[in-house]
Amino acid sequence: MGVYAFRLPELGEGLHEGRLEKWLVKPGDTVQEDDALAEIENDKTMVELPSPVAGKVLELKVEEGATAVVGDILLTFEVEGEGNAAETADTPAAHASDAGVQGAGLESVTASVKKESQAAPETPAQTPAAVQDGAPGAELASHAHEVLATPGVRKYARENGVDITKVRGTGNNGKVTKEDVDAYLRGGQASAPAAAAPEAALGATARAQAPAGAPAVSASYNEALEERQPLPNIRKLIAQAMARSAYTAPHVTVMDEADVTQLVQLRKEIKPLAEERGVKVSYLPFIVKAMVAALKKHPVLNSSLDEEKQELVLKKYYHIGIATDTDRGLLVPVIRDADRKSMWTIAEEINDLATRARENKLGPQEIRGSTISITNIGSVGGMFFTPIINYPEVAILGVGRITERPIMKDGEVVGAQMLALSLSFDHRVVDGALAQRFINEIKRLLENPRLLLMEV
Amino acid sequence: MVVGEFTQEVDVLVIGAGPGGYVAAIRAAQLGKSVTVVDKGNLGGVCLNVGCIPSKALISAAEFYERSKQSPFPGVNTQAELDFAKVMEWKQSVVEKMTSGVKTLFKGNKINFVQGEAFFSKADEVRVMKEHESERYKFQHCIIATGSRPIELKSLPYGKRVITSTEALSLDHLPESLVVVGGGYIGIELGQTFAKFGSKVTIIEGTKSILPTFDPQAVRLVQRNLKKLGVEVVTEAFAQGVEEREDGVTLTYKAGDAEKSVQAEYVLVTVGRRPNTDELGLESIGVKLSDKGLIEVDEQCRTSVPNIYAIGDIVAGPALAHKASYEGKVAAEVIAGKKSAVDYRCIPSVVFSDPEIASVGLSEEEAKEQYGEVATGRFPYAANGRAVALNASDGYIKLVADKKSGLLVGAQVIGHEASNLIAELGLAIEMSATLEDIALTIHAHPTLGEMVMEASEVALGSPIHIVSK
Repeated sequence: MGVYAFRLPELGEGLHEGRLEKWLVKPGDTVQEDDALAEIENDKTMVELPSPVAGKVLELKVEEGATAVVGDILLTFEVEGEGNAAETADTPAAHASDAGVQGAGLESVTASVKKESQAAPETPAQTPAAVQDGAPGAELASHAHEVLATPGVRKYARENGVDITKVRGTGNNGKVTKEDVDAYLRGGQASAPAAAAPEAALGATARAQAPAGAPAVSASYNEALEERQPLPNIRKLIAQAMARSAYTAPHVTVMDEADVTQLVQLRKEIKPLAEERGVKVSYLPFIVKAMVAALKKHPVLNSSLDEEKQELVLKKYYHIGIATDTDRGLLVPVIRDADRKSMWTIAEEINDLATRARENKLGPQEIRGSTISITNIGSVGGMFFTPIINYPEVAILGVGRITERPIMKDGEVVGAQMLALSLSFDHRVVDGALAQRFINEIKRLLENPRLLLMEV
Repeated sequence: MVVGEFTQEVDVLVIGAGPGGYVAAIRAAQLGKSVTVVDKGNLGGVCLNVGCIPSKALISAAEFYERSKQSPFPGVNTQAELDFAKVMEWKQSVVEKMTSGVKTLFKGNKINFVQGEAFFSKADEVRVMKEHESERYKFQHCIIATGSRPIELKSLPYGKRVITSTEALSLDHLPESLVVVGGGYIGIELGQTFAKFGSKVTIIEGTKSILPTFDPQAVRLVQRNLKKLGVEVVTEAFAQGVEEREDGVTLTYKAGDAEKSVQAEYVLVTVGRRPNTDELGLESIGVKLSDKGLIEVDEQCRTSVPNIYAIGDIVAGPALAHKASYEGKVAAEVIAGKKSAVDYRCIPSVVFSDPEIASVGLSEEEAKEQYGEVATGRFPYAANGRAVALNASDGYIKLVADKKSGLLVGAQVIGHEASNLIAELGLAIEMSATLEDIALTIHAHPTLGEMVMEASEVALGSPIHIVSK
């Protein structure tokens, strides 16, 4: 029998930490290899961690709700054979590994961190913290004497799971400010100081452009009747992304209606076929296809603005983000290379991605890299709205609901199925006329779905 | 099961209702926990009942009485008359005001208070012995905040005439004479107070000087005032034994080779305090203690038993009420799942002697050791307009900074209201302020606080109100 320590593995490229949402095992449980151990939330996804070994759970080293960094010991097992007991010693270096995670090769970085923390004048622990089992992480230790920072900033670092000794202070005498901790959290600090600056500046711009004179949210006149909830990671990320987009790209929205009577009819005809295939076909695959066709005609809509170099990056691939509502918040899974896929495939993919998004089972690669996005509120009602662009994309198509309405056609009142469309675009890149031409093209294809044939 | 015994379940059980325990209880309740506090004594612990608060009440009264006997303001003629029993009555009313305040806070936070003695029966259960019955409390988390009690010397067993600070603060009459064994801050505060009321006071101290851990220059100012009050201070003297009589007590002590004795109505022993960790049954549940009887804790105040926390005088660090309160908040927050830690740069300490002595952070010597070159700035009360107008021109403020960065790392204040002036300096250290930051902060005129600004300018080499050498 041996002891096996399970460290948080890399969850995806560039993902170096995750919040332990929920333990699925408890000490004493016997698990098989690949049994799910815990749910970890990172970036925007929730992943289940499979067990690397079969054995009995000895101890959970990380509390639910805590953030773990790649390399942190999450739990220990009793296993047949030798285990990896030599590694279980929870050295300070293991805790300090967050300094290293910005690097690529975890192994080499951990090694260098070890060296560093040995060289650092570690004050001998006067408390049993260091000898006690399950000793708190470095971020929970007192650094009042090692680091210049106000008590409030020290608390802020602790609350965010940051070992403040690892943060580079930009204040007087190297004083660590709240902004420094934020920059470290964004991962911009230390690994790439050059990159950190523009990002920090961006954050500052975003704040600076927030309405001046708005009352601080923290000031409250009736605390007893208010409840304060900590923001889950995913909400924080949504908030950051939305604010960044709204304050960076000047948004304009054009709105229009398409008569999709024929499309509704076509979908009805397809329905039995779809059932045969076991695929649910919504209107989204048609809209995706129509949008791709319109993008080919107006490639500027499928681009990003590189502000630094003052260049427009036109993309020759068509990855369509589909905004999806989940219990935890908004996710945007991506249909990659939509131009090369049949509508059946797109329908299947949309269903699969949406289902897995709601079950928190998307991989990090599945929610990044889109070149333009679609957001559909029509499924819950509503018509026109002003969607926020999935920055750094330059446009987003908002799809409202289809309503049957009387319209005037050739001098007669007829019933028609009308679809509400709203296109928000980044006015730095796209002008109003172009946006309208783009939406016109989408309209044309949706109104005459036979034309879509030519685009398949 | 014993008759009359039943088990109650609570989220958080706090043992001890002093400034550590009651603060921890309130913070835990604020964070949504159900909290029960057990104490064998009254709400407020030593601090509110028989420590900080009543002693400060007596110190203020004695100070006023003494100044009234001989008005410091020419032209203002005063006459002083002392009714000691009335003073003690008022002191008690102050105590009651404060403890009933805690009671109101407990009620408002829905905290249950149980008077009784707690004893650990399991790692998640205590037995509380009340006067006629006992109860069991099963807890998820426990905070031990049992504080400390006066050390008893074998040669001076406590009795009717050999007393602790607790009895000294509740005497029903003013003793004609009092011997204080131990010239630490409690001995000096009480000795000086009784001397001001008119008792003949002798202080016996084992080391070379009273207040041995404080700046000798500051101690000299206190010594001068003790001398003015007719207090006899005997240093390097060791108590040998006492002989109690109906009307008084004789203390024998050794000074050098000579054996001497002194007679008094009471002998007050203030030779230190020991942690109350010996009667809780801690060993049986595996809570680790150091050889000094202190409970070992980590930076979250967690003991070696993870659901049990300890704060205040029973853990390492100075035995001060404000440190206990700080730790109490940390422990309660950690229990509520917050990422709090004992994480301070400095703790101020204050002696309510006359003049008051207050210090925070490092002394000049400690700073030299840590930073190499230091910059210091000393500014006398005598050069401050407000101090002179208060007729309180004894004392000084001294600041210690790292020479290279100018960061303030320590401060000492000796003089009138030193206890209040030290607050700004503790904040400055926590905020990593430099001498320049302090010097450039406008301080209201005419106030004692200006001396903080002036002392910074002294350290920077350009004071306005004294001529720099």
